[in-house]
Amino acid sequence: MPQGYWCLVLHNHLPYVRHPEYEDFLEEDWFYEAMSETYIPILNIMENLLKDGIDFRITMSLTPPLCNMMADKLLQDRYYNKLSKLIELSEKEVWRLKDREPFYTTAKMYEQNFKICMRVYEKYNRNILSAYKNLQDSGKLEIITCNATHGFLPLMSNDRVRRAQIRMAVKDYNTKFGRNPRGIWLAECAYTYGVDKILKENEIQFFFIEAHGILYGEPRPRYGVFAPVYTPSGVAVFARDMETAHQVWSADVGYPGDPDYREFYRDIGYDTEYEYIKPYLHQDGVRRNIGIKYYRVTGRVGLDKKEPYNVHWAMEKAASHAGNFMFNREHQIRYLRNIFDREPIVVSMYDAELYGHWWYEGPKFLDYLFRKIHYDQDIFKTILPTEYLQMYSRNQIQNPSASSWGDKGYFEVWLNGTNDWIYRHLHKCEELMCAAVDRFNKDNIDQLTQRVLNQLSRELLLAQSSDWAFIMTTGTMVEYAQKRTRDHISNFQTLYYQLIENRIDHGFLNWLEYKNNIFPDIDYKIYL
Amino acid sequence: MENKPTSGSLSSKHGQGQLYAQQSAINLSSTYNDTKIFLLPRDPAWCYAYWEVSVDKKDELVRKYGDNSLYNLWLRVYDVTSLDFDGTNAHRYFDIKINSEAINWYINVPQTNRSWCVDLGIKLSEEKFITIARSNIVVMPRYGVSALTDEQWAVLQREFERLLELSGVQMIGRSSFDIAKLMKERWEELLAISQIHGLISSGFVSSFKKEQKGQEKNFYLVADTELIVYGETMPNAKLIIQNEEYKLSSDGRFSLRMGLPDGVKEIPIKAISEDGTMEREIKFTVTRKTEWNEGSK
Repeated sequence: MPQGYWCLVLHNHLPYVRHPEYEDFLEEDWFYEAMSETYIPILNIMENLLKDGIDFRITMSLTPPLCNMMADKLLQDRYYNKLSKLIELSEKEVWRLKDREPFYTTAKMYEQNFKICMRVYEKYNRNILSAYKNLQDSGKLEIITCNATHGFLPLMSNDRVRRAQIRMAVKDYNTKFGRNPRGIWLAECAYTYGVDKILKENEIQFFFIEAHGILYGEPRPRYGVFAPVYTPSGVAVFARDMETAHQVWSADVGYPGDPDYREFYRDIGYDTEYEYIKPYLHQDGVRRNIGIKYYRVTGRVGLDKKEPYNVHWAMEKAASHAGNFMFNREHQIRYLRNIFDREPIVVSMYDAELYGHWWYEGPKFLDYLFRKIHYDQDIFKTILPTEYLQMYSRNQIQNPSASSWGDKGYFEVWLNGTNDWIYRHLHKCEELMCAAVDRFNKDNIDQLTQRVLNQLSRELLLAQSSDWAFIMTTGTMVEYAQKRTRDHISNFQTLYYQLIENRIDHGFLNWLEYKNNIFPDIDYKIYL
Repeated sequence: MENKPTSGSLSSKHGQGQLYAQQSAINLSSTYNDTKIFLLPRDPAWCYAYWEVSVDKKDELVRKYGDNSLYNLWLRVYDVTSLDFDGTNAHRYFDIKINSEAINWYINVPQTNRSWCVDLGIKLSEEKFITIARSNIVVMPRYGVSALTDEQWAVLQREFERLLELSGVQMIGRSSFDIAKLMKERWEELLAISQIHGLISSGFVSSFKKEQKGQEKNFYLVADTELIVYGETMPNAKLIIQNEEYKLSSDGRFSLRMGLPDGVKEIPIKAISEDGTMEREIKFTVTRKTEWNEGSK
């Protein structure tokens, strides 16, 4: 009998960025890069763990926008082309660096990694959702959903529009994975009073919250963050363990900043001769990151002082960090078991994109970690939230505090001087959406009106994505976030008045359906 | 004037698409001609209110209370914790004078773990407050550990304190763990300590940047420079530049364009004859220094 459990939760999310109206679009790179560096590598690792008989458990949110991008034919084909170009470039690199160790070994690594991506990608006919589904069916992976467009629930104007975010998410999950989601990742872990009731209505059994959501909840939590609680409506809540968060994230003591790991900011997009790299840049020919990088973090030194990356050192470091992480969990869990009358659960929550995209060796770290946990110790086991709830169905009832996992722990990241202007517009659209549905939803509603209501739903949902407010706060790519917000709000209002004034522009409706096509089977009745 | 993003041309596949794409509004209407006030929580100590007053309502106020009434706007913030609030039964309230152009306000509340409601109104005298619009009620996010304990799940005070520590209570709100922020901070740190400056590698350029062209507020200048090295040698020679071999064109010419960061860069160029018996070398040392000046005329 293990003394406790470790639950890893990876939040996989990107905003819905898809621009069929352009042949080539910069922000779509977010998706392509995350595919090659995070999603496919982690998928590949899980498949290998399964094949090798390693007993492991991972909980993953795959947000509806991400699932819809993964399932989209246009993005699938564009990613295929991107990946093919990267493979071509990595082959050239191997040739270019053939006499120049350690660069040569690194070049071989990229070539191999990109080719593995392609093999996985082709194996699933460019739609990797089916790979996740297989893993879920094996019992090792629990896929949970997320608010339909990662909308920030506490800052919405009413429960009808909050409910629509959840209903759409459940419906979309069902079409992608063939059953209802058991759990949900609330976007940004943003919880406010009453959200639990909406989850309950939608038969969602559990969600995750920031540590102080439970620590500051009422009444006091008997087990701190090391056991779930039930909200008064009966949904289970798991809170984040701060120690494991810190160990991976912290700028000073966190793993990813190790000198042996790959330096993100030295990229061949800048380091190689222009004519050579030009075919791999965007159409504008401006030098940008390509994704092939030959230097390591080295230390706190300038970009020009970085030393060459050494694949073997980096892999050894990942293994040793995995060992360290496991050792700390054994210690933590043994200690907690001694002071508790039941086995504790330690919940570690991370953005998936940390692993691979930012911390290049992150997926390998996870691979080593799960293998070590399986073979090298018997203090704790990995677990899914549903499994823990089966073991311990009796839990304390508590009203968690409104909170988020953003900076300072509440809502300021999404509500401050850079982005507060959006809420008066979003709330207006929310009000008009409900009014339109109330007015036009009749038994004999015609097809055109249905299409308009459905597209209004898409535009509102997309406008609500928390990503836009977040980007405005972080101050990078702000123009894009502002434009996306304005565009969806403006599309919504233009279409709304066309509907109300009975002068629907078919061309405009067609154009929006073509351009903003998230949720092909959306039904405006989510707002009823 | 060009009106497309940096990285692409609109595909012409979708007939009228181009037209609709360019039509999309840059500025949203600043008013919906509603009379309302809405309250949002930001954290345990602050909330945010935004409001607007319709043209008709403004006319009515001026008619009833005089021309100056619109310059006499106040927010009245009511503590309505656990109440069925009817406008008169608040536990207490406080007033904030707002300037007449304001359309929103961050409100610092005097006590945590309470519920609040806000009226936008005109204050005719201490006793006479005319409400223009009343907000929704906001239950604030909680701050601090609850005093309530659960009999079934009781825990000793000392034990509970230890548990809070283990749960990371000292780290609440102190650490932000998001990639975008982390990456940006690291990038800024790197820039600060690097010899390399200029518009390189941040990767934080938006496809939509160009659309802002011409708007004075967003006036900007983007410039960068790179280096072109060219020359010629025997067509069958081996050419090595900065320790890397480059291919010559069939007539022996070469030309390449390289990134040029700030600082000193050495570019050794070496040609070796086909039989390996002869060598010629030319070395350039190039210094780049970027100066930035901001100002207005």
